[in-house]
Amino acid sequence: MITQRLFTGGSNRRVLVTALVLAAVAVLVPVLHLALPPSSPFHVPAYMVALVGKYLTYALLALALDLVWGYCGILSLGHGAFFALGGYAMGMYLMRQIGDRGVYGNPILPDFMVFLNWKELPWFWYGFDQFWFAAIMIVLAPGALAFVFGWFAFRSRVTGVYLSIITQALTYALLLAFFRNDMGFGGNNGLTDFKDILGFNVQAPETRAGLFAASALALALALLITSAITRSKYGMLMVAVRDAESRTRFIGWRPENIKVFAFTISAVMAGIAGALYVPQVGIINPGEFAPANSIEVVVWTAVGGRGTLVGPIIGALLVNGGKSWFTGILPEYWLFALGGLFIAVTLFLPKGIIGTWDSWRASRRDAAERARTKAEEDAAPPPVDPATGRPVRVEETPRAPSPGLSGGPAPQPAE
Amino acid sequence: MRGMIATLAKRVSGAALAGLMMAGAATAQEDTIKVGILHSLSGTMAISETTLKDVMLMLVEQQNAKGGLLGKKLEAVVVDPASDWPLFAEKARELISVNGVSAVFGCWTSVSRKSVLPVFEELNSILFYPVQYEGEESQRNVFYTGAAPNQQAIPAVDYLMNEEGVERWVLAGTDYVYPRTTNKILEAYLESKGVAAEDIMINYTPFGHSDWQTIVSDIKTFGSAGKKTAVVSTINGDANVPFYKELGNQGVKAEDIPVVAFSVGEEELAGLDTAPLVGHLTAWNYFQSVDTPENAEFIAAWKEFTKNPDRVTNDPMEAHYIGFNMWVKAVEKAGTTDSDAVIDAMIGVSVPNLTGGYSAMMPNHHITKPVLIGEIQADGQMETVWETTGLVVGDEWSDYLPDSKDLIADWRAPMSCGNFNVATGKCGGKGVN
Amino acid sequence: MTVLRVLFVLVGLALSGAASAQVDDEAIRATIARFADSKNFRETEEIVRDLAATGDVRVERPLSALSDGNLSFRKSDRQVFIAPERGQTATLFDPLTGEAAGEAPKGDFTKVKVNNSLRRTIRDVISGLTLASPDPVVRLAAARTMFIAPDAANLEALDAAIAAETVTSVKISLEAARASTILVSDAPDAAKFDAIALLGQRGDRETLSLLTGFAARSQGDLQAAAQRAIDTIGKSLALWDIGQNIWYGISLGSVLLLAAIGLAITFGVMGVINMAHGEMVMIGAYTTFVVQSVIRSSFPGLFDWSLTIALPLAFLVAGAVGLALERGVIRFLYGRPLETLLATWGVSLILQQAVRTIFGPTNQEVGNPSWMSGGFQIGQLALTWNRLWIVVFALAVFGLLLYIFKRTAWGLQMRAVTANRRMASSMGIRTPWVDAFTFALGSGIAGIAGVALSQIDNVSPNLGQGYIIDSFMVVVFGGVGNLWGTLVGAFSLGIVNKFLEPYAGAVLGKILVLVLIILFIQKRPRGLFALKGRSVEA
Repeated sequence: MITQRLFTGGSNRRVLVTALVLAAVAVLVPVLHLALPPSSPFHVPAYMVALVGKYLTYALLALALDLVWGYCGILSLGHGAFFALGGYAMGMYLMRQIGDRGVYGNPILPDFMVFLNWKELPWFWYGFDQFWFAAIMIVLAPGALAFVFGWFAFRSRVTGVYLSIITQALTYALLLAFFRNDMGFGGNNGLTDFKDILGFNVQAPETRAGLFAASALALALALLITSAITRSKYGMLMVAVRDAESRTRFIGWRPENIKVFAFTISAVMAGIAGALYVPQVGIINPGEFAPANSIEVVVWTAVGGRGTLVGPIIGALLVNGGKSWFTGILPEYWLFALGGLFIAVTLFLPKGIIGTWDSWRASRRDAAERARTKAEEDAAPPPVDPATGRPVRVEETPRAPSPGLSGGPAPQPAE
Repeated sequence: MRGMIATLAKRVSGAALAGLMMAGAATAQEDTIKVGILHSLSGTMAISETTLKDVMLMLVEQQNAKGGLLGKKLEAVVVDPASDWPLFAEKARELISVNGVSAVFGCWTSVSRKSVLPVFEELNSILFYPVQYEGEESQRNVFYTGAAPNQQAIPAVDYLMNEEGVERWVLAGTDYVYPRTTNKILEAYLESKGVAAEDIMINYTPFGHSDWQTIVSDIKTFGSAGKKTAVVSTINGDANVPFYKELGNQGVKAEDIPVVAFSVGEEELAGLDTAPLVGHLTAWNYFQSVDTPENAEFIAAWKEFTKNPDRVTNDPMEAHYIGFNMWVKAVEKAGTTDSDAVIDAMIGVSVPNLTGGYSAMMPNHHITKPVLIGEIQADGQMETVWETTGLVVGDEWSDYLPDSKDLIADWRAPMSCGNFNVATGKCGGKGVN
Repeated sequence: MTVLRVLFVLVGLALSGAASAQVDDEAIRATIARFADSKNFRETEEIVRDLAATGDVRVERPLSALSDGNLSFRKSDRQVFIAPERGQTATLFDPLTGEAAGEAPKGDFTKVKVNNSLRRTIRDVISGLTLASPDPVVRLAAARTMFIAPDAANLEALDAAIAAETVTSVKISLEAARASTILVSDAPDAAKFDAIALLGQRGDRETLSLLTGFAARSQGDLQAAAQRAIDTIGKSLALWDIGQNIWYGISLGSVLLLAAIGLAITFGVMGVINMAHGEMVMIGAYTTFVVQSVIRSSFPGLFDWSLTIALPLAFLVAGAVGLALERGVIRFLYGRPLETLLATWGVSLILQQAVRTIFGPTNQEVGNPSWMSGGFQIGQLALTWNRLWIVVFALAVFGLLLYIFKRTAWGLQMRAVTANRRMASSMGIRTPWVDAFTFALGSGIAGIAGVALSQIDNVSPNLGQGYIIDSFMVVVFGGVGNLWGTLVGAFSLGIVNKFLEPYAGAVLGKILVLVLIILFIQKRPRGLFALKGRSVEA
């Protein structure tokens, strides 16, 4: 009940604030980058713009995962696949924009096709010279894959661990497929050497700033939309499916439809994130399909706090910032730091940063309330103080299985 | 509530910014010349690239012992791009714009090079790329100190054809751009030498392929057509160990079906018992076993630097050795570390290589190298069985691919073009035709 | 091969005493001395042929040494020795008599260079020299060499050898060698028809190769006859190929089984999504490496026992790491399997980097003991010893685990805790310790899988990453919580993969298998062997 209250009240305000901050960042950073001279202390260097721009697309991906994992209980270990598909759609558009400026000067074929002796453009590359077509594909390719995959998987009632593993199989299969040069997506090298996007040079500071602003705004927008979804009837149903799928079904809802809906929306968001990511990093290659990348997305979400919308964004920014920082200052040991962080977060902050923050505040408020009640009625029991060493156990024991998968040796309540 | 969150957000972003600024500030002293080292120290490529990071540290240390460069000490800046290709671009940007390095030595895979290319172009810095690669590239900011296909693959095939009388060819490779391109070039080359299409079998496997039973048995079958057969292997790194183990166990002997590999060096062989592989071939531009004073000195210094008498040396290490010395010489010639001046000064610079000759930087940003064919020995070393009489100039645009045969690269002043088309007389590939 | 060479040397020793010097020793020594002056492989080859032309069996010794890369000459006086190197010193032997001639630093010597074509020449000339050897094994080897590399000049020697041969198996080989020699000679057509008929009955790949070569050179009836023989052999080989594919599938399946079976316990039975499972396998492989290094440096004689010693150690080391992992991290996460995924992912990063820091990022050499090297044939089925042992080993591990689960008190407790923790606890089972040791068992099994996998794969920090996804696929495909499911899952995935590979290629084959798994899970959402009962719900 208490959590419920916090979710509706606190999180809504938090979402608004975050969206506003993002919108402000979307305006401020480009302005500080472009308008101020590099000598100014407030100048944002190009390096930071590119870096943070990349993080923002990661944050969007983490937010997408939060929608399915945090609210619908579907742990996807394959969200990197949707991200990469969106990225490839954008990459194909960017490749076609190169035109005859490629090294071989072929006006139609991308360079990698020329030196592998391809004679004509494969059919699935048609249309990508138009931005509107690419934009549709950015939404359609991941969305359609998620819809088809979800339609079959959820109707067959594939749940829990099985679902996680087959999403992993999905992204792994795509990884192997995109590695094949015969597929016509540039093989291991992927798509690179981009020149223009919508007629602007991708390397120009203005374009970079524009892409940064677009990423920040897209994230803000996505945050508002997901927030609206989670507060709608569908959002309530998602949570219901997450917490007790069978009961939801017995009441008369169709959990599979709700899941397919959430999964598809989430995949589309991931695809848009990928599309924004590609022009900023300048390359898309099958490495993005690697199962390890998808697991990392799960980690960001968990670090920030799943089911909190703002949490995954903070998690993605923090973990990636840490990664960039550590790979620079501790190149030999940063994996210890990263690995240690994952263990520490799961052990000590099981609900992530935002989740832990919320429960801490909730317990404080509870304690205050109870203290007040106690003052009024002397016979009340003393308040529990969960904010000690292991809030984990205290919080978890009486609750039903946590969101996401369960199973394992813990006793399962019959549904 | 709102206040608190805003504070938290501020604090978080502040901390991140401060961290990055600190990284920038700590290294922003001007009394050293910085050299960036961009090699993966974790992830799948760490196995190959960590050695290159070590050799660069050793070279920098040696140069400092000699008194540094332009009166300043050299300082190596090491970062870990973690075998993550977009991270390579990010780290390259960090090295150049945050740490202010004068040149970067790094990358191994083609995709990592492709990923950093736009960054080097945009920020006008210098990259030394030490690994044999597929060619089909010449970029103003990149110096390719590894072998182009004509410095490795074609001489190896010539050797097999002339010395071993091979008539039937298996081109086996990992499915990525280097094997694909190399095999395309070899296929065209073999056909130009009159090898029939049915005498060429091409096979691709995924990265890290570990179950080679079927493929080795296919090779045996292909080899039982009454003609002398050889395997040209562009199988990448890790997958080689299980491949060679399977070859040894299935009894494919070098006397019957020799395998010539372009990606197997001393480092890869350190991971397996080479006794069953004696006689299989590799083609490189350097072997640890090469008997020259320069090489003996280099190996001794390397073993001392790593404090490990069993450490081996390999071809990409020599490439870094050559590239680093070339860079030092070019900086001395230019009198500055300014990118444009160094890039211009690089062309024509000639330094001793470890095989007893001199390697020179050509106008196409590739270098001259001898080509050595070696047979694997029982102790994991290669023994040179054949070498080119002179040095071979790296050919960036292959003459055996229809779309690149008209292209040349020349970065000297009047032309300054990486893909000049001699047929149309225009820079920029075919031009609009 | 090594065994054969030792035999050669022994035979040579026996003969050198017995044979009256048919050729002047000095002449042979003078020829051998020319090796020191050889400038290129062609000159060396001439010397080899000159040596062979003496017809003296003793020249086999310097020739074998040359082929093995052990023939060197002293830089100071250009005297030729057989000088195998060990470390920085070379042990010297007289090239002709094999008498020990002391030791010397290896820097004083230059090796006589040898390449593949030279080794081939040596192999061929040695077979000519040893055809009359008193040892049937040596004669068999000579006959095989002559069969694969026929030379018309050997025909008379072969006829003589066949007439004198008493051992049936050697005689069959000699006759085959004769037949293949006839095909390259200018013998009359009738003899060639006979030869084709004889070869046609053999049906192995070498014969196919010989006949294909012959068919390309000949015309008319001879070619037709050869072609018929080729077709017959091709048909029988096609059948064998199916068997061969099944074997490859079983072998791949056994590797998958080994990799997955530890996971079947930690993930399947305990519900811990153990992303560090691959690293347990890696720890086992590194234990093998350490054991072998110690053996190599201190007890070289025990090398063949290295795996046997490594097995229990790998089990203990990986098991101990598993125990520490369970006590330190996982026990706080029961009931929240997802979090185990994150924590163990962190653990896997740390373990990988730790191994990289301690042992370096490069591959480590793990050798095959002699009983795991090489292969043998059953009919046309080529089996390699290491694969065969791994299949046997995988099944043994499976059997052992099954026994522990079904027949021991500990297994009963594990099953009880899995089925209903509270009930088990009320019955007096100390559930925390059962958890800890079950996890340790799963990790230990992964460790011994690492010992086996070190024999066929890289021993590098990335070893585990290569197996983790496949392992999860196997467990999920077979059905979580069921050991039999893992067994059937591993072998069926292995065999399907190997049957797809020849048609689709290795990459596409793997993709198809993954797609099949995804589709299969739609059909049977709980895997091949679904556990019945409440413990699988939710």
